[in-house]
Amino acid sequence: MGTRFKGDRNKHLPEDDVAGQSSSSGGDDDDEGPSSLPDSPVDSGSDFEGFSEDGDSYDSGSSDELESGASKLSEKGADAVDTVHSSIDDETAKINGDDNPELHHEIVGNDNNSGDERSDLHNGVEESDSSEDEVAPRNTVGDVPLEWYKDEEHIGYDLAGKKIKKKVRQDKLDAFLASADDSKSWRKIYDEYNDEEVELTKDETKLIRRLLKGKAPHAEFDPYAPYVDWFKWDDAIHPLSNAPEPKRRFIPSRWERKKVVELVRAIRKGRIKFEKPKEEPRFFHLWADDSSAADKTSHLAYIPAPKPKLPGHEESYNPSLEYIPTQEEINSYQLMYDEDRPKFIPRRYTSLRSIPAYDNAVKESFDRCLDLYLCPRVRKKRLNIDPESLKPKLPSRKDLRPYPATCYLEYRGHKSAVTSISTEPTGQWIASGSADGTVRIWEVESGRCIKVWDAGDKVSSVSWNPVPELSVLAVAVGPDVLLLNTGLGNEENQKKIKELLTLEASPATVDDKNTVVSWLSDDRHGHEAIKLRHFKTVTSVEWHRKGDYLSSVLPAGESRAIMIHQLSKKLSQKIPFKLHGLPVSSVFHPSRSILFVATKKNVRVYDLLKHKLIKKLETGLREVSSIAVHPAGDNVIVGSREGKLCWFDMDLSSKPYRVLRCHPKDIASVAFHRTYPLFASCSEDCTAYVFHGMVYSDLNQNPLIVPLEILRGHSNSDGRGVLDCKFHPRQPWLFTAGGDSVIRLYCH
Amino acid sequence: MEIDRWDEEDSSKRVQVRFVTKLKPAYKVPPTSLAIPADVTRLGLSKLVNQLLQNVDADWAPEPFDFMIDGELVRMSLEQFLLAKGISAEKVVEIEYIRAVTPRKEEDPSLHDDWVSAVNGSIPKLILTGCYDGFGRVWKSAGSCSHVLTGHSDAITSVCIINQEGSDSTSIASASKDRTLRLWKINPEVSPNSPTNVRAYKILRGHSAAVQSVCAQQDTGDMICSGSWDCTINLWNTNELSTIDDVVAIKKRKGNNQVEESLMEEEAVSALIGHTQCISSVVWPQKQTIYSASWDHSIKKWDVEMGKDVLSIFSGKALNCLDIGGESSAIIAAGGSDPTLRLWDPRKPASSAPILQFSSHSSWISACKWHDKSWFHLVSASYDGKVMLWDIRTAWPLTVITSHADKVLCADWWRGDSIVSGGADSKLCISTGIPV
Repeated sequence: MGTRFKGDRNKHLPEDDVAGQSSSSGGDDDDEGPSSLPDSPVDSGSDFEGFSEDGDSYDSGSSDELESGASKLSEKGADAVDTVHSSIDDETAKINGDDNPELHHEIVGNDNNSGDERSDLHNGVEESDSSEDEVAPRNTVGDVPLEWYKDEEHIGYDLAGKKIKKKVRQDKLDAFLASADDSKSWRKIYDEYNDEEVELTKDETKLIRRLLKGKAPHAEFDPYAPYVDWFKWDDAIHPLSNAPEPKRRFIPSRWERKKVVELVRAIRKGRIKFEKPKEEPRFFHLWADDSSAADKTSHLAYIPAPKPKLPGHEESYNPSLEYIPTQEEINSYQLMYDEDRPKFIPRRYTSLRSIPAYDNAVKESFDRCLDLYLCPRVRKKRLNIDPESLKPKLPSRKDLRPYPATCYLEYRGHKSAVTSISTEPTGQWIASGSADGTVRIWEVESGRCIKVWDAGDKVSSVSWNPVPELSVLAVAVGPDVLLLNTGLGNEENQKKIKELLTLEASPATVDDKNTVVSWLSDDRHGHEAIKLRHFKTVTSVEWHRKGDYLSSVLPAGESRAIMIHQLSKKLSQKIPFKLHGLPVSSVFHPSRSILFVATKKNVRVYDLLKHKLIKKLETGLREVSSIAVHPAGDNVIVGSREGKLCWFDMDLSSKPYRVLRCHPKDIASVAFHRTYPLFASCSEDCTAYVFHGMVYSDLNQNPLIVPLEILRGHSNSDGRGVLDCKFHPRQPWLFTAGGDSVIRLYCH
Repeated sequence: MEIDRWDEEDSSKRVQVRFVTKLKPAYKVPPTSLAIPADVTRLGLSKLVNQLLQNVDADWAPEPFDFMIDGELVRMSLEQFLLAKGISAEKVVEIEYIRAVTPRKEEDPSLHDDWVSAVNGSIPKLILTGCYDGFGRVWKSAGSCSHVLTGHSDAITSVCIINQEGSDSTSIASASKDRTLRLWKINPEVSPNSPTNVRAYKILRGHSAAVQSVCAQQDTGDMICSGSWDCTINLWNTNELSTIDDVVAIKKRKGNNQVEESLMEEEAVSALIGHTQCISSVVWPQKQTIYSASWDHSIKKWDVEMGKDVLSIFSGKALNCLDIGGESSAIIAAGGSDPTLRLWDPRKPASSAPILQFSSHSSWISACKWHDKSWFHLVSASYDGKVMLWDIRTAWPLTVITSHADKVLCADWWRGDSIVSGGADSKLCISTGIPV
């Protein structure tokens, strides 16, 4: 029993320690210590195993270096334990629990098992202290220098007051030899105070090791054990202390205040930022369609039933008078279609009592039920696009000023429809040709006719030489092209013109069928003039920009349909290109030697220097009537007999960049302004349209076309409206030649 | 009694007024304040003032008056005017009255052979007209032509009288579409029964296109300037006794009728270049300043000494006519290819916006002239056949003279109380009796 107990004690060390610790706070455990003793034998077996396990775990837990040594140690320890057990068995057999210290001493002397002896002694003395560390010393001399007993035979006195005799000193050599023989000598310590050798047990060496490592001395001790609250709180209805609440409980903490001030300062300075609270809509749209909210959910779409229309003021039993329809209005409802007729006719009642039953109540609730039942629960994907937003964004007309808008001047004098007009390059005069066979020159500023020629036949086209010094007028009359000296300009220029318009030798063979063009002098008009007789009717003449060449168009001329005449050399030639289709008009490029020929369907662009076709513009129109070239030369407008106007950007494509359908009738003529970004078209519907046509030098930007103004004023005569339009060369003004024999000037 | 009742009824619509005037003492009314109905118009006011004058002077002949409140002419009912101008009717309103400016009489039109393109009435002795038949004419009065200026081969576009002191004869300059200017000298005192033909004493050649406008230097008359279709303003000497170079330039010329005549020709002294289009009108009001209006939409002020433009006003429209006058002879009036007569004040810095616009015409404005004495009155002629008399204190024309049947091409003041105007109906109309 006792031996077991001893073993137990060793093994229970940590537990006791814990108990000791807790008991130190708790107070007395003198009773508890012994009371727990009876339990311990029951546990001991398992504890022992647990210990060995602990030992294993210790081994495994330690580093590899230690492992071998530790295993050795444990083996030795196990040996020691075995020896202890065997010796103790012997002892118990001899002593039978007798507490004789002397005997013990002998035993100690034999076995050198001080731990056992001490614990026995301890038990025998019944020292209250259960802690193993504070084993009451046998020697009772106290804490005096041991050299006082140096020369004595005893080392001190035991509890009974008897002298403890010094042991016989072993010879040093013998001691060494003994230690060398004794395998346990490495854990034997000489206790000077008690004058004995103490052999450390395995636990003690472990303990020392742990202490050396700076760990808690016992392996079982958990420094971080969960706190066990020993106090029972639940039934404590009274305060533990009756002391009044200390003042500090009521005073705001100074530290907290400092912290708060610091935080407030941080917030003010913006070091701490808060997330803005999500803004709630101020007004809740009570009658909003919930479908949008339903869209957000990913699961099956909820399609709300259609909401019935909310009643308005007119459905009040006593609505304001303005809601009450008059009898006429009620009568007019009868004439409406069922769909348009209002469903409800407001009426006034003096009181709620006088309201009759609603005749449609059943029907309407039935309809509503049908609505709910039969409503198509299918989401209609309907595009909700404002048609206004589809319109192209065009600049305001005000920003595109100046452009011709109002007619201020009329040039009257022709007896018949004015078929063609042409402006003098400085803008001082205009020339006009009419179906009455006259060519007139007008002063722009006053509207005065200053010259009249009788051409003899219907004038189809007039064209003023673009060189200001060379004021020669080309007039197409029947098969002839007349080159008239206008007589304007100063003497030097007149001299030059006269020289130009004189033929050195009159051609002899006029009647030759083969000659396409014959140059004749024409003396009929007083001034020097040249008549170019063609073999077919000429419909249009056009000057080259340098004023030396002019082209004439003979639609019936087939291969010789377009002739180019050189005024200085008095030469004519046909263009060396094959035309496909009837030519309508020809225009020279404003800066390069390129000729545009408009046939009924297409516009062909020829390079006159390289003698080749550069481009063919496909109009897609039924019949082209007129053509005009932008002063920069890269854009062409073409008017057609079906009232369509095509704008070609030649850099872009050979298809029209824009097709403008504005005139209900044939377009008779189109024109570009030389300097302002304007172009115009005139038609047989007696109107002329003015457009803003801005061409940008930036190649990435397409031309901007904005319709600006419809110019009216001409009257229809014999189905002929406006036959020609030309811009003033320097002002944003438009001249229009009407079938009503009037030329009008529209100014900005 | 009735009136009293009516007064009481309508007392809320009465205005306290006092009539004041700067006219002669004979026109003055007692300076007492009166309560008059608020809905009275100019006619009512005029009647009232005549009544007051008659109370003072029994044999007062009624005369029309015009009324101004705060320097603006009343052209609607008094109530409307006060409301529109935000003038309080609580206080006594001071109404200044002036004699109404309207022509009393239309003289018989003086017939020409062709369109009358230019007229000048700057000296009271005569009226000078230019005509599209190439003749200039001098009229002593309506219907009596005293001189015909022959020589131009194309329409005369502008005439002016050169103000030269110390000579009993009158010098005239004319500009024509035949690219020349001619100087003439006539003696207006000689009054033959039939018109005498006068030939120019000097031809000024140098323009390469039609000359549109001519103007003489106002004070000395030594020089004239001319604006032309060739975009230049040329300055010319007018002295009859020219330098030796000019004498050399004397030429013998043979006319069609084989009459030998000697003509002095002269080149331009200098040219002012800067306009880009036809110069339609030039004015030379001060010694060193020329104003010009052009079809390139600008009005330029030229410094003659430097030969450069010192001011350029952009009007946005092609301009046909220009005149300087008004307050301290500084306000520019110009009209052009739209029905609006515009007034600019060049003294206002950094603004090219017109200070006033009169837009009662319905077509191009062909002429505008300031009255040479009054700061407020100007006359304008338009292609719509109307001549309008303007007071710049009101936006409505004072009078519209509709005696022309066709485009009016020119108009001017004559003798300070008449308007002369010529038009495409070949008539010179004279409206007289305008009490400015």
